Amino acid sequence: MIRLALGTLRQHRGAYAGTFFAALLAVALLAGGGLLLASVLTAKPPADRFAAAAVVVSGDRDVTLQKVTTKEKKGKVKVKRKVKSERLTGAGSLPVDLAGRLGDIPGVATAVADVAFPVQARTPDGRLLRGADDAPVIGHGWASAPLTPYALRTGEAPGPGQVVVDADLANRSGTTVGGRLIVTTKTGVRTMTVSGVAAPAGRDALPAQGALFVADTEAASVSGLPGPTAVGVLASPGTDLVALRRAVEDAAGKASVLTGADRVRADLPGALPDYIGPLSIFGFVIGITAFSAVFVLTGTVTLGVRQRLRELALLRTSGATPGQLRRLLGVESVLLAGLAALPGAPLGVLFAHLVAARFRDLGAVPAQFVVRTNVMVLIAAAVAGMLVTFVGARIAGRRAVRIAPTQALAETANAPTGGLVLRIALAVMTTAGAIALLVFVPLDGPLGMGMSFVSSALLLCTVAALGPLLIRVVTAPVSRLVGAGGATGWLAGLVTRADPRRVAAVAVPLVLMFAINATMLLNSVLVDDLTAQEQVDRTAPATAQVTAPGGLPLGTVERFVALDGVTGVAATLPTRAIVEQGGKPEDFATQGLLVAGSESALDLDLRAGTLPGMGTFAASEYITDQYGWRLGDDVRIWLADGHEVHLRLAGVYARARGFGELALPLDLVAAHDPRGLVSTVGLRYRGDVPDRIAASWPDLRLTPTLGAAPPGDAQNQQGAWELMVVISLGFTAIAVVNTFAIATAARRREFADLRLVGATTKQLRRLVGREAMITVGAGLVLGILVAAIVVGAFSTAQGGTLRVFVDAGTYAGMLGGVAALGLVAGAVPARVLLRRRSLPALSDGR
Amino acid sequence: MRNSDMTPAARGPVVEVVDVTKTYPGGGGARALDGVSVAFEAGSFCAVMGPSGSGKSTLLHCAAGLDRPDSGRVLLAGQDIGGLREPQLTQARRRRVGFVFQSYNLMDALSVWHNILLPQRLAGVRPDRDWAREVMRRVGLTGRENDRPGQLSGGQRQRVALARALASRPEVIFADEPTGALDLSTGREVLGLLREAVDGIGTTIVMVTHDPAAAAWADRAVFLADGRIVTELADPTAEKVAAQMMAVTV
Repeated sequence: MIRLALGTLRQHRGAYAGTFFAALLAVALLAGGGLLLASVLTAKPPADRFAAAAVVVSGDRDVTLQKVTTKEKKGKVKVKRKVKSERLTGAGSLPVDLAGRLGDIPGVATAVADVAFPVQARTPDGRLLRGADDAPVIGHGWASAPLTPYALRTGEAPGPGQVVVDADLANRSGTTVGGRLIVTTKTGVRTMTVSGVAAPAGRDALPAQGALFVADTEAASVSGLPGPTAVGVLASPGTDLVALRRAVEDAAGKASVLTGADRVRADLPGALPDYIGPLSIFGFVIGITAFSAVFVLTGTVTLGVRQRLRELALLRTSGATPGQLRRLLGVESVLLAGLAALPGAPLGVLFAHLVAARFRDLGAVPAQFVVRTNVMVLIAAAVAGMLVTFVGARIAGRRAVRIAPTQALAETANAPTGGLVLRIALAVMTTAGAIALLVFVPLDGPLGMGMSFVSSALLLCTVAALGPLLIRVVTAPVSRLVGAGGATGWLAGLVTRADPRRVAAVAVPLVLMFAINATMLLNSVLVDDLTAQEQVDRTAPATAQVTAPGGLPLGTVERFVALDGVTGVAATLPTRAIVEQGGKPEDFATQGLLVAGSESALDLDLRAGTLPGMGTFAASEYITDQYGWRLGDDVRIWLADGHEVHLRLAGVYARARGFGELALPLDLVAAHDPRGLVSTVGLRYRGDVPDRIAASWPDLRLTPTLGAAPPGDAQNQQGAWELMVVISLGFTAIAVVNTFAIATAARRREFADLRLVGATTKQLRRLVGREAMITVGAGLVLGILVAAIVVGAFSTAQGGTLRVFVDAGTYAGMLGGVAALGLVAGAVPARVLLRRRSLPALSDGR
Repeated sequence: MRNSDMTPAARGPVVEVVDVTKTYPGGGGARALDGVSVAFEAGSFCAVMGPSGSGKSTLLHCAAGLDRPDSGRVLLAGQDIGGLREPQLTQARRRRVGFVFQSYNLMDALSVWHNILLPQRLAGVRPDRDWAREVMRRVGLTGRENDRPGQLSGGQRQRVALARALASRPEVIFADEPTGALDLSTGREVLGLLREAVDGIGTTIVMVTHDPAAAAWADRAVFLADGRIVTELADPTAEKVAAQMMAVTV
């Protein structure tokens, strides 16, 4: 049977080459996406600042809720516990006296209270200090130095008003002992003197974080923290670590006690590379690529097998049993996909590295992110490729395999659309799924983008399942339009109408290409547009926006309020806060908001109530809906450091895009956000306020309100998004070309027949051109339909108005690009085939 | 297209092959045709006979302008098609020649009716529908206009191919083993239709076959062996042809 499979391999080179190529690319994409995801999941923090500590006690780093449900069933009481947690962006602190208590435990040499806080440090000439790969600078009390340990290279330990920086920061900023640094934390701006330069053993700094030490006596006042963020325990030599850990656990109470590789989790969340963002990005990458790859591969395999139905029927007439044919198809497809996986897997590794490099450049993943080649992922991708090919081949061949031999021969010439019931059942299911998603999932929420993608994927499955039927409906008018005039147009119309399956096989990748990419592009343009517009509308009442590199301490803002001539102030401090529903904590983009003055400097489009004040907060319409809050409700909110507060809902606003779902009192946020610096202050003023601000705070930037630039994070996401569209466009484009080539290669005989009845080569080229126009036209009609449904639903949910084209330029570009690609892809293989011989039929052994 | 308005010589040769030689690459240098000269009279039915590899199909391809001879001349209705290049060759072919092949060579995507009109459409002339209907009646296809070739039997498909060839009123129809894929009685029916076309319509038919019974329907049989014409028979019968075939093969 294997020999037979190999024998047939030679016969249908075109179909095999196409299937091989599609399988190769599919395996490469699956492997690449899988490697990226696996690398993110297994990414280890690059450095352990607590390397010298045996045990580390950490403050809260997440909010964990437990939901207990009791069910009574047949007299038995079942107790279910569900524990859900959400990571904090800040660090919770520990009791001040904990270090002292831990120090008394036998076997403990010292217990060091570690205070870690983000700092903004500048040289007097305005250069911002950043570590390698733009790593953040983290401040500590000098007592923390032995935890790593950092040792002084030059100078001495910091006294009041002094700092020690690590050697890497010193080199980068050109700072030496005796130099000055301007250090900004949420407690204020200080000019401090460098008293020394320190470094961990054998290197200039820890990877991914710069260190700045202040005097222990000043740590609390500079950081603004109520207690240490962690306590590191250094053990005396010869201490039993297991016993020590147990003793520390007893003393630490509810705080988590970490040893070994877990110790790094006690560090400040912002000090470690963040792999949560990349996780969702790569999840999306693998979602899109996996869908496209499987979708395209299934189509290609089906097309390839269908081209050989006649041969399969002949095998049946010459005595092959259905079982043998099934085995033949199975062996052959697994063999083909297995062979394709050999170059496919290495290509996937390359793909992962290229994408990772690009994402690192864009800042969408941490600079420390590396792709680790995971053999299991590669094998899984290869197996997935083989499985898809196998299943596709078996489904495509099922009819030819099952029916009686003579019937098989008769049917191949004029195969009816098989499995109609199956097709319709599949289509009904996928359509229902898509409709359910579009109707029931709130598309204006954080899931909107992903769900719109899933629903367009489902609609594409509908199109694929109903392919021949839909194509028959769409082709009729399109082919009459394109086919008007001339024998070739007439013939193209007849040929495309006669074989809707072949047209569908080629058109469906075009539908995929247009629908998936248009949805991604248009939705992101839509969100960008709306976000930019809301930003403009929000800031419109302010005369000017004040910003500072790194941010402004709250104290500065309070002095603005008091300035003569200032009539309105709106200060915002971006942070994240966690709210809970049904035992599930979830974090949301949040702003600390201070509004002062007699005139408003910020327009959130309040729909009800007022802006936040003492003990109250405001929330977006979306989250208010989702959580079922009403004005006056008392809501439990966890701030960035895990501090739990109860605030009363005072207002509901509409303009949340690019702002956040929650608006909390600024002083509360500033106290509990790790950075705690105000990002922007909107001002309304009369007179010479700008001059006075410039005089008092030379570092501040005051710009007339013209819609400030979107936050950096959004730009990263935008770049990552564009890269994903590029990957998706590239793959779907290859799929389109490949399918056209396979479909055309099988028409050698048909072209020869046409030449025999008197068609010139030119006429055949025109015929193929017209057919491509019809196919592309039909594909685009369906693609436009799918995109219109999804984008329409998304835009209605997001902006309240139905928009289908969103951005005329983008839309026309996509449409033109896909059409041009389809026409070229349709024409080129035919030209190659027709150029080879003037009459290809004559040497085909007939 | 110097000869485009030349009328075929009345009752003279429609196709003249003069001293044609053809060697296929890779054939070990053996000549498929070795100095063949033969003429086919208008309104005649000629069978080209010979064992496998004798060059009979090559002769048909060269005579019909489907293939180019290495040397020698081919005159189609007085026009030397040796000097024509594509697409003039295709145009000459589709104006003057019809084909009937063993494997029918119909377009599965088109209905019977559209298949029959296809050559005229490709030639850019207004199809003669009345004549096409008449041809369909003569070959017994009336009522099958909207069927697809895939729905027809082999004999019916060959009838469609014959109707297609006749519908454009060619000066000559080349038939390459037209009964090769058909059973005995169906084959006889098709041969009867070919004969009918010659007698009733005045078509010229050149038929390549290896079947003596088929050759017996022709007015004349030409025998090929090793790329040369060895002999010919007028008014062949199956017995005479079979005897001659034995002689040629041995």
